[in-house]
Amino acid sequence: MTTVRAGTRYDELIEPERVHGSLYTDPGIFADELERIWYRSWVYVGHVSEIARPNDYVRKSIGPQDVIMTRDSDGRVHLLMNRCAHRGNLVCEDQRGNSSSFRCPYHGWTYRNTGELLGYPFNRGYGGSGKLDLGLAPVPRVGTHQGFVFASLAPEGPSLAEHLGAAADEIDRLVRLSPEGEVEVTAGWLKHRTRANWKLLAENETDGYHPQFVHGSIFSVADSGIGALYSDKSAAVTRAFGGGHSENDLRPEFRRLGQPMGWFGTSESKVPDYVSRMREVYGERAEEILVEGSPHVMIFPNLFIAEVSIFVLQPLAVDETVQHVTAVQLRGAPDINRRMLQQSVGSVGPAGLLLADDTEMYERNQRGLAQGRPEWLDLRRGVHREGVDERGFAVGTATDETAMRGFWSHYRNVMEGAA
Amino acid sequence: MDGIISNEFAEVACRVDLEANSPRLRLEDLSSGRVRYLDAVELQAVVWLPEGHLRQLLDPSADRWRDDPDEHR
Repeated sequence: MTTVRAGTRYDELIEPERVHGSLYTDPGIFADELERIWYRSWVYVGHVSEIARPNDYVRKSIGPQDVIMTRDSDGRVHLLMNRCAHRGNLVCEDQRGNSSSFRCPYHGWTYRNTGELLGYPFNRGYGGSGKLDLGLAPVPRVGTHQGFVFASLAPEGPSLAEHLGAAADEIDRLVRLSPEGEVEVTAGWLKHRTRANWKLLAENETDGYHPQFVHGSIFSVADSGIGALYSDKSAAVTRAFGGGHSENDLRPEFRRLGQPMGWFGTSESKVPDYVSRMREVYGERAEEILVEGSPHVMIFPNLFIAEVSIFVLQPLAVDETVQHVTAVQLRGAPDINRRMLQQSVGSVGPAGLLLADDTEMYERNQRGLAQGRPEWLDLRRGVHREGVDERGFAVGTATDETAMRGFWSHYRNVMEGAA
Repeated sequence: MDGIISNEFAEVACRVDLEANSPRLRLEDLSSGRVRYLDAVELQAVVWLPEGHLRQLLDPSADRWRDDPDEHR
């Protein structure tokens, strides 16, 4: 394993068309990433629908850091570090619950779900009640977009809107698939532990080159048309939004098909209630929405919306990442929600075939990278045919590595302190 | 009607008790076995407790874990 030198020069490890293998294997670089990316920039944490009622809470994460997302009795959302202000014990153990207060099991220190210290047992030892200016540490900045909650551990920096940039439009595109304009993240989470560096996962999410190889078996068994979307004949494009965000924009193919619900691998006759509700709510716009479907977007560094599933990447070590996965649920659309859940479980559930294929590749990739030679990973696919779209974003064909180049360009800026 | 209200911090069994001359709510703290009955008027008072008062009761030193349990704060 190559080890990072003091004062790593990221410009020596990241070039426009190749990156150095140590970026995936060096614990020093991983520690550097935690400080410069995960504990500084905006990171996706959770969705407001996971704490729908007053005093609901869920345990979430910012990289390896454990946080509690709460809704107080007035309906406000809080993110609190899951650590008692007394001796540093973990305060919440359950993944979710409903409580107006949290009581540390070690010495009974009790906090409001806003983080405020309510009290502690035998308070004479502190001179009485209310004598300590302590509480659960709040996450410095919390922002939401369409109910998606993001956090930054840095008190200052770019706004969430600046961070998301054009990727925010893709979240909007997901949300408009609901006749009520809201996504619900209520299907429950699966956790897949992967012995691989988080960046291998992030890069793979919008890599259109691998599906025909890695997922060939499931495509053939399921007689799926997905593979054809990621071929040289496909009109779909890979787009880098800047900020490390990217997408596989499959809309050109879906528009060519012109079939409502084609993006979902079905026809409108299978989800009649949903389609009629959408037409009722959106009028003429419904056709465009029903044809174009859901986004396939990777939002740097850890939120991946894959049409019917939502993935959250959680790095734990240089070679260990947890993928949290759930099915998209659209508010006010029970018939399509049932099918979305089935599709999501079938592809990324415990016995699902897509994620199992990908995870095999992630772990093989990490094991392969342990070999020191050749030192570099190649990123040049499609450089010669890359273009710029009307919004100024780099676009490649469905199978080009445009998204990876965008990811690494942003990564380098962040790691060099320029972003 | 029996039920258990629980989260990771506390576990309380609840039952509508019909043994007395009018119904009461029987609450049992399952971590200590301590039981309390609340009549209709007491329950109404709980419903009307301002948030701030309820919050004071949640202070561990308020009524339970005290060096001087008999002394009013």
